Amino acid sequence: MGMEQVWLLPAIPAALFALLALFNRAMPRGGDGLAILGMLAVVVLALFVTLDFQSSFVDGKFAPGAEHVYAFEWARIGDSLLIEFSTYVDGITVLMLAVVSIVTLMVMLYSVGYMDGEPRYGWYFAVLSGFAAAMLMLVTSGNLLLLYLSWEAVGLASYLLIGFYWERQSAAEAAKKAFITTRIGDVGLLIGIILLWRGAGSFDIQEIIEVAHGGGFDNLYLTVSMLFLFAGAAGKSAQFPLHVWLPDAMEGPTPVSALIHAATMVVAGVYLVARMMPVFDEVLIARDVVLYIGLTTAAMGATMGLVTSDIKRVLAYSTVSQLGFMFVALGVGSVTAAMFHLFTHAFFKSLLFLGSGSVIHGTGAQMVEELGGLWRKLPATTLFFIVGSVALAGIVPLAGFWSKDEILVALQGGAPMPLFVILAATSLLTAIYTTRLVLLTFFGEPKDRHAYDHAHESPPPMLLPMLILAGLSVVAGFVAFEGVGKVLGFAGGVGNVVFTQGHKGHVFEFHPDVAIGATALGLAGIVIGFVYWWGRAERAERARSWAPELHDLLVQRYYMDHLYQVTIDKVILGLATVVARFDRLVINESGVDGTAQGIGFTGFRLKFLQTGRIPSYALAMALGVAVLAIVAFGRT
Amino acid sequence: MLELLERIPFPQQLDRIVIFTGLVAGALVTPIAIVLLALLIFDEITAAEVVFWLAAAVIILGALGAVLLPNIVHATLSLVIALLGVAGIFLLLGSEFLALVQVLIYGGGVTVLLLFGLMLTNAGDDPKVTDGAQKPFAFLVGILLAGVVGVALVDQDWAKTEVAVAPFTTLGERLFRDFGAPFEIASLVLIVALIGAVAVARRDRDEDDDTVEEGESS
Amino acid sequence: MSDIPIENFLVLSAVLFGIGFYGVLARRSAILILVSVELMLAATTINMVAFAAYFDHEAFTGVIFAIFIITVAAAEVGLALGIVLRIFRERRTAYVDDASELKW
Repeated sequence: MGMEQVWLLPAIPAALFALLALFNRAMPRGGDGLAILGMLAVVVLALFVTLDFQSSFVDGKFAPGAEHVYAFEWARIGDSLLIEFSTYVDGITVLMLAVVSIVTLMVMLYSVGYMDGEPRYGWYFAVLSGFAAAMLMLVTSGNLLLLYLSWEAVGLASYLLIGFYWERQSAAEAAKKAFITTRIGDVGLLIGIILLWRGAGSFDIQEIIEVAHGGGFDNLYLTVSMLFLFAGAAGKSAQFPLHVWLPDAMEGPTPVSALIHAATMVVAGVYLVARMMPVFDEVLIARDVVLYIGLTTAAMGATMGLVTSDIKRVLAYSTVSQLGFMFVALGVGSVTAAMFHLFTHAFFKSLLFLGSGSVIHGTGAQMVEELGGLWRKLPATTLFFIVGSVALAGIVPLAGFWSKDEILVALQGGAPMPLFVILAATSLLTAIYTTRLVLLTFFGEPKDRHAYDHAHESPPPMLLPMLILAGLSVVAGFVAFEGVGKVLGFAGGVGNVVFTQGHKGHVFEFHPDVAIGATALGLAGIVIGFVYWWGRAERAERARSWAPELHDLLVQRYYMDHLYQVTIDKVILGLATVVARFDRLVINESGVDGTAQGIGFTGFRLKFLQTGRIPSYALAMALGVAVLAIVAFGRT
Repeated sequence: MLELLERIPFPQQLDRIVIFTGLVAGALVTPIAIVLLALLIFDEITAAEVVFWLAAAVIILGALGAVLLPNIVHATLSLVIALLGVAGIFLLLGSEFLALVQVLIYGGGVTVLLLFGLMLTNAGDDPKVTDGAQKPFAFLVGILLAGVVGVALVDQDWAKTEVAVAPFTTLGERLFRDFGAPFEIASLVLIVALIGAVAVARRDRDEDDDTVEEGESS
Repeated sequence: MSDIPIENFLVLSAVLFGIGFYGVLARRSAILILVSVELMLAATTINMVAFAAYFDHEAFTGVIFAIFIITVAAAEVGLALGIVLRIFRERRTAYVDDASELKW
């Protein structure tokens, strides 16, 4: 088992999806054990792939041909279009495999407790398996077409899981919103892929990169292509202005939010941009767009997270914001920092989601106004949640600190100072809203007695994955260090391995100045959080009254949703009315019905030609024969 | 049965009709024959040509009679004359066998069959309008088709070869050796047609009442 | 045997065919249409035999075909008369243009 067989990773859950989707009713407990076993196998196989990857990666280089591991011809149209089913393994892939397989396994374990007794329990696990298959295929695919296929497949899984409680109107609508919003980006992605194929003559990512490096593209053409590509990434990764679907996606079951909308699917956009980074390097304008969009999103997400009262939505805005961080790193060309943050973020953000799920499971409430003081009732959950929060806030030595640090360092070296300041401020905001969430949920006085009284700690199947993820949230950052990397088999730490073709990875360095500054910011944020929200949060109440407009702006999510609603109502529906009228009058009444009436009328007139008398028919036939004979004779 | 035969107009008229047809045919053909004979005597044409023109005249006149005569029985008898002329053409083309077959089958069988058909469909009682309204068009198409085909055939530059007599042995070998399977199939076709004709034309049992009524009414 | 050019026979058959065709189209009585069909068949037979006699001195395929044509024509007449009888008995007419249900 090695990189050659990496196709097995998506194949196993795909087979399980088919099996479970069809037969989950016939299996004990809806086949959840089978799904978990399959995922466990994937984790083990991913480990083997990683080991094999390390052995073929010596001195910062692959053994020749080792990275392009598996390919067979899928379809061929003429000489111009060759579609291959190909897999590709490099440092990014290995990292993503670890994230996807581990988090999926944890979430599945958690779901056994969380989803217990739900209707469609088996179907839930089937879709989870299907999602895992699509996501694994996405990160192992070596060409853009296969990537697009899995891209859509994860979108489908996301749709199915957001709308899992489709009996609830809001869930069905959130599922539609997520699907349609990401679809807007997906169309861009498809256009980008087609443009790249047209320019490079291949769907193969490495070939496209080579062509781009060789100057095979017109600069403007490539810029446009990459912007389209980034549109897809922005849609999937909930970047401004397509971020609106992610908060609504919280309608899905909480484990799903942890898996899809925190750790895996939403980072597909980050993965895609990282994967195509060598091409982005050729067109710095496109890269700058990534940078500014990322920065905007990071700031917007963090500010919106400050005022939201739904725990899961706070975490969703936090995810949006953190994804913005990753895109900022990509925008300055630091694949290493982005992927590192992706890696650590996956663990602590899924931990936070699972923690919020534990709260919801224990109390039945998810608004901070109804919670509070839960640390007495849910001690383990509280502990894990705090671990995740501290990691998110970026406090030494937890995972989030190292990766966020890396992004700040990259930005400091590669972008103007104001951007760095904005990102640092966002970092501060991150610590503030995280502290607020923890204080309002777990400390202070219980605001809803009933919910508090009935609160209970979650069962072990839910706590175990949280424990594991909490552990990872603590230690995941250390893989960056050279020493730890050597022990794990990555010479020079993970950072030296995670790079794309044409990029050199770099060994992480500890920048004391930035690190101290960032930690100080994080601590300051926590202090501010305590000042405003400790106890009865009177200061926060007062702060709200100082600037009601600002508060309103944030609560209304910068009016983005209103803007879209108005756009749809006025522009699109207006256009649709015109089109509908055109369709009704011109196409239907004149075209379709008109044709039918014309034919009917003509037929009514012409039917009298049909006398029914055989001699008439014989005459017509004879005339035809005579004409044919004349024609035939005339030709000789 | 006797009653049925009496209803048929044909037997009473047969002699008259045959004599009439023969006279008309003779009257039309005789001048042609005299002219041809005269030409033969003065060595203008060969004997074979005399036979050809005579046969051609008989065929054309017979055919015209068959399609133009208003009386159905006359038309049918006219057909017989035309088909006998065709037998003469076969003789000229050296196919005695075909000529014999033509006389036997057409002159005998088919004609009798047609006349029986006439009898059984009470053709004598029908109105004399035997031609449809599309006669002018039919005329046009007939002329057109004959003209086109005739011109096309004459236009072709045929090789100058002599007529060869088809020996009976050759015909026999061809028919029973090379065309054995089609021959057998043809026999099958004949028997199927025979049975089919009987099956189609057979009076169903429940139509017997109908027959009685028919007899009473006539 | 003779010095008659083949064109004579061919034109004769063409004229006979035209006359037969005219008869098929002009006549109303089913029996007379059959009569006209016989004329057309005779025309084609003449054509075949002429070609065989002039150009096919070894095999005489045309003559064989003529034999088959005559055979099938006999069968056809028999069957057609059966159908005519049937129609006559159903609707008391042997005129084809009275059977005009084959419309709209």
